[in-house]
Amino acid sequence: MMTNLFSIFDPATTIFTLPLNWMSSFMSLIILPYTFWLIPSRTNMMWIQLTNFINKELKILINKNAKGSNIIFTTIFMFIMINNFMGLFPYIFTSSSHMSMTLSLSLPLWMSLMIFGWMKFYNNMFAHMVPMGTPSILMPFMVMIESISNLIRPGTLAIRLAANMIAGHLLITLISSTGPSSSTILISFMVLAQILLLSLESAVAIIQAYVFSILSTLYSSEIK
Amino acid sequence: MLSRLALRNAQLMPIMARGAQSMSSAAGDRPVRMEKPSPVRHGIIPEEWFTIFYPKTGVTGPYMFGIGLSTYLLSKEIYVLEHEYYTGVSIFIMALVVIKKLGPTVAAALDKQIDKYEGDWESSRTENMKSLEECIENEKKEQWRADGQKLLIQAKKENIVMQLEATYRERLATVYNEVKKRLDYQVNIQAVERRLAQKQMVQWIISNVLKSITPEQEKANLQQCIADLQSLAPRA
Repeated sequence: MMTNLFSIFDPATTIFTLPLNWMSSFMSLIILPYTFWLIPSRTNMMWIQLTNFINKELKILINKNAKGSNIIFTTIFMFIMINNFMGLFPYIFTSSSHMSMTLSLSLPLWMSLMIFGWMKFYNNMFAHMVPMGTPSILMPFMVMIESISNLIRPGTLAIRLAANMIAGHLLITLISSTGPSSSTILISFMVLAQILLLSLESAVAIIQAYVFSILSTLYSSEIK
Repeated sequence: MLSRLALRNAQLMPIMARGAQSMSSAAGDRPVRMEKPSPVRHGIIPEEWFTIFYPKTGVTGPYMFGIGLSTYLLSKEIYVLEHEYYTGVSIFIMALVVIKKLGPTVAAALDKQIDKYEGDWESSRTENMKSLEECIENEKKEQWRADGQKLLIQAKKENIVMQLEATYRERLATVYNEVKKRLDYQVNIQAVERRLAQKQMVQWIISNVLKSITPEQEKANLQQCIADLQSLAPRA
């Protein structure tokens, strides 16, 4: 029984006291279809199509000097999407609803981009602080604003993803927790509403993964 | 579904490993690509979960087992119907609807893609074969051409032999002519020498004869001639 609505996010999955909280992140390795034969199966084909699509989407945004980096962003998309989707299933811990997960995705990524940029494109990176045509009087403020907007980027990436996941799961849990105390007719309505919400959450799972990868791609394309 | 896939793959692994290690294994041992996924009942439940009961329980067995087990778990409150259960039910229904409604369309579209993919490989294979066959054809043609070259070389050789023959004959003719010229020269010299000798001899004889004629003999001869002429004159 839930003591608190937010206890659904507690990492409490165990098998005989063996904690398996973050194992769900590794389950994506099981989901990935393996390729033994030259001709892909339906599942393989679906993955190929999806990765190709995402790769195509990211390739147009990516910096020309960093052509190979679309692989990492496509991988991030796949990883986040699998984690989001798995979290929708009952009894599976949603790792992407935790800041410890999302921030450890976004912070090293942003930090590495920044360090690389400051090392290789020092002048350009700091020239971005003052956009073209800024009046001299506004320049100090612009620098402050730009600095803040740059510094909060990993945080916004992490919070956006985690907050979306938390919100969705909270709603799902709120609806489904009325189940045990409801009548059969009410339960059927509840299930219907739940299905609608789950469809929405499935979309959100994809969209948030897409947003995360697109935004990190955009941040990476600024480094030049 | 996923665990089932993993299990199926695990079952295939030793066979695959064997197949990868030895190419000479019998055809029955070799893994065959499953073109279609394993059959399922009620959308997502694997067919083999039902059929495993059949030898012992008949066709109602799996349902009886499911109902019995869930009744037991629920009645003893081993499984508690909390919020996750209702989410599970909703997801099950959603998955069922999606699979039943979209499944065939998506499967057909994916199959089309797979066929295209396979077709690409197949076409590259056939094209490769075709190009290799063309190469063989060309090679054969080249060999045929080389055979023609042999004929040509034979002809050239014969031509050279003919030229040599002609030169030989020409030289032979030259030699013949030269020799003949020398011989003719010798013959001519001989003839000239002979003529000269003859002339000399004739002159010598005539002069000697003329030298030997005395004036009396000449006078007698002239007298005789006049006498002959006189004797002939009356008859004329």
